[in-house]
Amino acid sequence: MKLIGIVGTNSDHSTNRQLLQYMQQYFSKEAEIEVCEIKDLPAFNEPADKVAPATVQELSNKISAADGVIISTPEYDHSIPAVLKSAIEWLSYTTRPLIDKPVMIVGASHGSLGTSRAQGHLRQILDAPELKARLMPSAEFLLGHSLTAFDDNGQLVFPEKVQELEECFEEFRDFVTINNELVKNHQAKAELNRQFSWELDANGGQN
Amino acid sequence: MKFIGIVGTNAEFSYNRLLLNYMQKHFAAEADLEILEVTDVPMFNESDDQTNSPIIQTFNDKITAADGVIIATPEHNHSIPSALKSVLEWLSFNVHPFDGKPTMLVGASLSDQGSSRAQLHLRQILDAPGVNAAVMPGNEFLLGNVQLAFDDEGNLKDQGTIDFLETCFSRFMRFTKISNLLNIPEEITFTPGTFDVTTPGHNGDLPMKVTLSKKRIEKIDIDTSKETEGIADVVFERIPQEIIDGQTLNVDVISGASITSHGVIDGVAQAVKMAGVNPDYLRQRPKAGALQAIPDEEYTTDVVIVGAGGAGLTAAAKTLQEGKQPIVVEKFPAIGGNTVRAGGPMNAADPEWQKQFPAIPGESHTLQEIVAMDPESIDAEYRPDFLALRDQLQTYLAENTDENSYLFDSTLLYRIQTYLGGKRTDLNGQEIHGQYDLVKILTDHALESVEWLEDIGVEFDKSEVTMPVGAIWRRGHKPAKSVGYAYIEALSNYVKAHGGQIMTETDVTSLIDEDGRVCGIVATGAKGQKITIHAQAVVLASGGFGANTQMLKQYNTYWTEIDDDIQTSNSPAITGDGIRLGQSVGADLVGMGFSQMMPVSDPETGELFTGLQVPPQNFVMVNQQGQRFVNEYGSRDTLTQAAIDNGGLFYLIADDNIKATAYNTSQEKIDQQVAAGTLYRDETLAGLAQQLGMDPAVFEQTIANYNRYADEGLDPEFGKDVFDLKVEKAPFYATPRKPAVHHTMGGLKIDTKAHVINETGQVIKGLYAAGEVAGGIHAGNRLGGNSLTDIFTFGRIAAHNAIAEAAE
Repeated sequence: MKLIGIVGTNSDHSTNRQLLQYMQQYFSKEAEIEVCEIKDLPAFNEPADKVAPATVQELSNKISAADGVIISTPEYDHSIPAVLKSAIEWLSYTTRPLIDKPVMIVGASHGSLGTSRAQGHLRQILDAPELKARLMPSAEFLLGHSLTAFDDNGQLVFPEKVQELEECFEEFRDFVTINNELVKNHQAKAELNRQFSWELDANGGQN
Repeated sequence: MKFIGIVGTNAEFSYNRLLLNYMQKHFAAEADLEILEVTDVPMFNESDDQTNSPIIQTFNDKITAADGVIIATPEHNHSIPSALKSVLEWLSFNVHPFDGKPTMLVGASLSDQGSSRAQLHLRQILDAPGVNAAVMPGNEFLLGNVQLAFDDEGNLKDQGTIDFLETCFSRFMRFTKISNLLNIPEEITFTPGTFDVTTPGHNGDLPMKVTLSKKRIEKIDIDTSKETEGIADVVFERIPQEIIDGQTLNVDVISGASITSHGVIDGVAQAVKMAGVNPDYLRQRPKAGALQAIPDEEYTTDVVIVGAGGAGLTAAAKTLQEGKQPIVVEKFPAIGGNTVRAGGPMNAADPEWQKQFPAIPGESHTLQEIVAMDPESIDAEYRPDFLALRDQLQTYLAENTDENSYLFDSTLLYRIQTYLGGKRTDLNGQEIHGQYDLVKILTDHALESVEWLEDIGVEFDKSEVTMPVGAIWRRGHKPAKSVGYAYIEALSNYVKAHGGQIMTETDVTSLIDEDGRVCGIVATGAKGQKITIHAQAVVLASGGFGANTQMLKQYNTYWTEIDDDIQTSNSPAITGDGIRLGQSVGADLVGMGFSQMMPVSDPETGELFTGLQVPPQNFVMVNQQGQRFVNEYGSRDTLTQAAIDNGGLFYLIADDNIKATAYNTSQEKIDQQVAAGTLYRDETLAGLAQQLGMDPAVFEQTIANYNRYADEGLDPEFGKDVFDLKVEKAPFYATPRKPAVHHTMGGLKIDTKAHVINETGQVIKGLYAAGEVAGGIHAGNRLGGNSLTDIFTFGRIAAHNAIAEAAE
């Protein structure tokens, strides 16, 4: 199984990056997780020629080719960081690779809440008509106190969190398999979603 | 009433912009609505703080000054646009203008929803602690199907919509009035008196007296007599000043001294609490001078000097001596750069003085080794000097055969040792040695630099000749006062007393280059203001790049590996700024791949003077198994490589007598470090070994062997041949050490007049460099004690030529 892990921040030091790197090596037998950075993507701004920058297209292609996506988000001001929002805006603007794509959300925070509110926002965002990701329901992985969560070798030191993550990840792998079966038969609807536009919608278009 | 409207998108065409424009026009009689655009705001990045950029400052200043804010948000993917989120992140990071600010939300969208979901997200975001806006409840203004809402003049067409917007807006006017009442600062009444509190310093708690009258913080006195001089001084002057000026505890910490900065603020908070007032009220007050717009500054002077370390202040003093005016710019709040951290004395051959001291065992052996060298192994340009030195040494050795021998030195010995010490080959097989003409200048003028410093006001302790770590020879001139700071204190006093200007927190961003001549600098000041200084010449004295791990790794060709988390003995300011400035006008670089590690650094902080740091004749180095692993007299990179080969961490062993020879410490500091677990002490060697997790038998054997070698004057295991004290008197100490980045030998290519040379070998007019920013002298390895000699010698040369050539 091939998965893309998206580091939801542009910060040089990020426990969310650590979390994905940890998952990458810890689950290396179960899945191949490629950790992708968004820090070098330009800030979203609708281009006049309607063509996404090459770096965006590259990420978009990787997601299209993958079986599923794991997003690791920090929480800034009760929501997801602007830089992650910007990346998502680009994805909803290009070939919309998240449509019907299985997505697992995880997040790490220095405080005790573990990005609960950012994850809530991210779920609502990924449910937007231009994104329509297939979010794994009823499963959230919140890692609080993340500054003390990893040892020098990048290993997660909280045993109960390791167990929780294992269960979450196992469920996600099942979810990926089942979901990809499910959406096989809905290609026409997916294509419609790829064509969705608020302009067309507002003008009585086909959506 | 004054409002700021924020267009929540960077899109070229936006109905939300149209809506705010309409509100501005429609409500012009009731309120002044100024509209700000987010288009030019950079993407928020916590690792690249741009709070001081003009655009963020504009947002901060205007929102702070306004009565309220109206945000018009579109909806992107069920939430607010990233462009708007980015602005809010900047405005909740290091500045917080939304704190308590009355805020109204409006939004327009193409669908029926009218940005309903984005507005809910925005409410939650504005409620986050770092933002903490006072968002008006209810009164949701959602403008759906917006493409049909406006006429050609940009006016809303539907009367019902206009009526509702008017209701919302008049509500917001009332809400603003009421809500801003909460922003009136709490009334504060102290119980007057003087309160004794403490603040943590580097070397333990410092006593602090805070005097409060009924309404004011009147006085803050900190007893700093126990503190390391230099770095912390600024904290103990500036933080209290800002607290008193602003009558606030909302004070910026000083970079490089955040712990002590917070210590002072917390200490005053404690006194405020003792006087019956909640310190949070004072933390919520604005910063001193926060609301003043700082105008750009422009100056004209003779010589502008970048960096207020030893090289820069030397150039400034020399400029003043030649009757010209310098301005020194320093990016940090404190002056002193790396010089203030220097622990070693400075090298200069002064044979007449050194002659008064007896030779110590082993020194003649060192000289005999030089005599025995094959002249063919010496590079051609140094060979005549080497042969002349060999004659000198043979004469000396023939005449000094017994215990009455004196300490030999000469300019030639100094030169050849600097050359030999710097000769290295990197991992690519590239050989490097000191550039002869520069090494000759350094060694010929070293003593003159000592004498010049004495004229400036540095007092040297002539009763002792010492050798810093990695110096190879005893020719160290040690200031009478605490070592590194003594130079900085004397030089800065001289510069200030003679009318020179030192501007701290002035970060140079570019050189002014007119018609191929460097004639000034552009810098950013503490409050983000642009500072332009025109001058006839610029001297770069900004140090090397030891605190810039990325740059070290980029250029490194010498060490097999440089860790990402390597510590440094350098000031955090030393990030290669001058090298980049030089490159911006085409400067050539030399020897950039060679960096020096300080083998004996604190494993946690990279600092030199923690634990017991003694002269090398008293070093006893043992690895984590309790065994010696190297000749303690080895050059720095021999020691470093040996340490790396032994797992990095090792220990310096001392007894009570050796302890007495440690630099820069006191019994109190020692006790404190033992208590903190950063220094180990035990009444027995076996006990010490147990504390360190070593086999006591192995460790005891190691020390017994060492003591025997010291008696015999020769160490058959590792070849240490200069000894002073043995390890015999309890209590015994172990200081943990690990290599850290200490010096970068490479830098800007200069000539003997300290001109910076460009890539085609030409002098860059108007640009000079002195000290660690320049390369070529120390080549592959710098001798201990030579950096000070370098900065005081080339600092003078740079200023002299800058002035002489400006007159031409």
